[in-house]
Amino acid sequence: MRTILKIALLAIMAVACQKEEITIGTNVSDTFYLDNKGASMRVLVEGNTASGTFLVIVHGGPGGGAYIYNTDYISNHIEDKFAVVYWDQRNAGASQGNNNGKNLTLSKMTNDLKKVIETLKARYGQNSEVFILGHSFGGMIAASFMTQDTLRSMVNGWIMADASHNYPLNNRLTREMLLNLGREQMDANLNTEKWEPIISWCLAHPSINTMEEAKKLESFASDAENLFPEVKHIGFSDFTGLIVKEDWAVTSMLFNYLYSKHADINENLEKTGFSTLLYKINKPTLLLWGKYDFVCPSELGTEIFNRIDTNEKQFVVSSKAGHAIMFQDPEFFCDKINTFIYRYR
Amino acid sequence: MLKSGLLIIVLIFPGILSAQSLEKQGTERRSANVKLAYNSSVIYPGIRTGIEFPTEIVNLDKARKGDRHPSLKIERFITLNAGWYHHPDFHDNIYPTLGYLIRRTRSNGFMIEFSPEAGLSRTYLGGTTYRVNDSGLVTIEKHAGYTYLLFSIGGGLGYDLKVNYSKPYTLYLKGNLLIMLPYNSTIYLRPALEAGLIFTPGSFLKRSCKIKSKIR
Repeated sequence: MRTILKIALLAIMAVACQKEEITIGTNVSDTFYLDNKGASMRVLVEGNTASGTFLVIVHGGPGGGAYIYNTDYISNHIEDKFAVVYWDQRNAGASQGNNNGKNLTLSKMTNDLKKVIETLKARYGQNSEVFILGHSFGGMIAASFMTQDTLRSMVNGWIMADASHNYPLNNRLTREMLLNLGREQMDANLNTEKWEPIISWCLAHPSINTMEEAKKLESFASDAENLFPEVKHIGFSDFTGLIVKEDWAVTSMLFNYLYSKHADINENLEKTGFSTLLYKINKPTLLLWGKYDFVCPSELGTEIFNRIDTNEKQFVVSSKAGHAIMFQDPEFFCDKINTFIYRYR
Repeated sequence: MLKSGLLIIVLIFPGILSAQSLEKQGTERRSANVKLAYNSSVIYPGIRTGIEFPTEIVNLDKARKGDRHPSLKIERFITLNAGWYHHPDFHDNIYPTLGYLIRRTRSNGFMIEFSPEAGLSRTYLGGTTYRVNDSGLVTIEKHAGYTYLLFSIGGGLGYDLKVNYSKPYTLYLKGNLLIMLPYNSTIYLRPALEAGLIFTPGSFLKRSCKIKSKIR
């Protein structure tokens, strides 16, 4: 019986591969984990590691997960030139742990990002060039990272794509955008029955003071972009092909998302902003926005553009994207990123 | 929902459906069953094995004219199980469990079963795992993974070859829902499907088992 158990354990250990594999090549797919403060976070590195250049995706959420960003288009148009790093933040995607909810804070997540970059450099070479890209909530982690003197120097540049660096400002801008574009649509007699409750709600809530109000506003903002025919509607069905291909940990993603969505971090984020610290950022900056992004309106990008301390900055807006520019206008997204990275690597 | 609940109650307490009269009751020393199965966690491979210790066997006869053969056999077992599945780049999960199994076998050999189980899960992360200290030193963590409490609930069906072919095997297919906690301060659910064989040796880990015969 003992022999059988030993053989079974050996077989399992052979399949359960924790052997370090570091691949330098042009079409790489390496998965590793970073263990930090009670969370083991999945990091998938795909593409051209031989380039020595890494683009770290800082996904939305909290709790969103990085799997969805790994689309065929990005694989074919960015990963062929550089390596893209899909990092599942703590309590998101395929990240694992026990009772670690108390560590789900912006400061811990910023520290996680630092350690992801340190691990990348340990694996692929200390001279590796790293860019970070924040999307949606990921912009808060990116802004937190970039406004800290000791961290900023670890990267060559940063990209904000439909991202937030200031939740209170974000709420105000979202409400204003809903009112302004909603009224324009009503005047043009377009989708009046859908805009009417949104405008009524915004008028009844001149400021956003509670989590419930913030969630309601976000839900209106998510729906609003679908009222514009030029914006591609993105739903779960757009990603179903990736589930098997990329071995998604589907139930982990779901329960991590549900937990993070209701976690205490959300209350704290509603009071957090980095506007007054943006002057510290002196690194090359690319700001990519969808014209119809109501969730994180493009005025957030305008504010970053005006406040950072560098001339190496570019602010571009896609006229056919909403809050998911990487899926709604992938050609524009990849083209701008490649140009930016080639210039500043 | 109500139907599922009733089905579970009927499986656990089959006697509630009809009045039964006890004909015979005794104990026998019965061999344990050994099971081995391919344990697919949706599309990811694995193995599941276990031992079923019988605690009670009830033969239910139908009171029909001229037909006094046992028409239904209800067996109860205490089970010891060990499962493993491999989800690439996510984790490998090894989970020993202790369970309670109820199996109803009809006179034509077809059976259904239901089992709640409880145990532990030990996962091994699906990739090299690093730790980085505050001064930036990166080290590898060996055998990285987590231990969770695991509960499982499963239902299956199969065919008992002992009934018509006098072979000591039962072929079965069983779905299990694994519940692991605390997983990132919440729970983790995982469906798993077993397809395997239960072997009943003539004599293996024999233990005392209640035998009852009833007419309904």
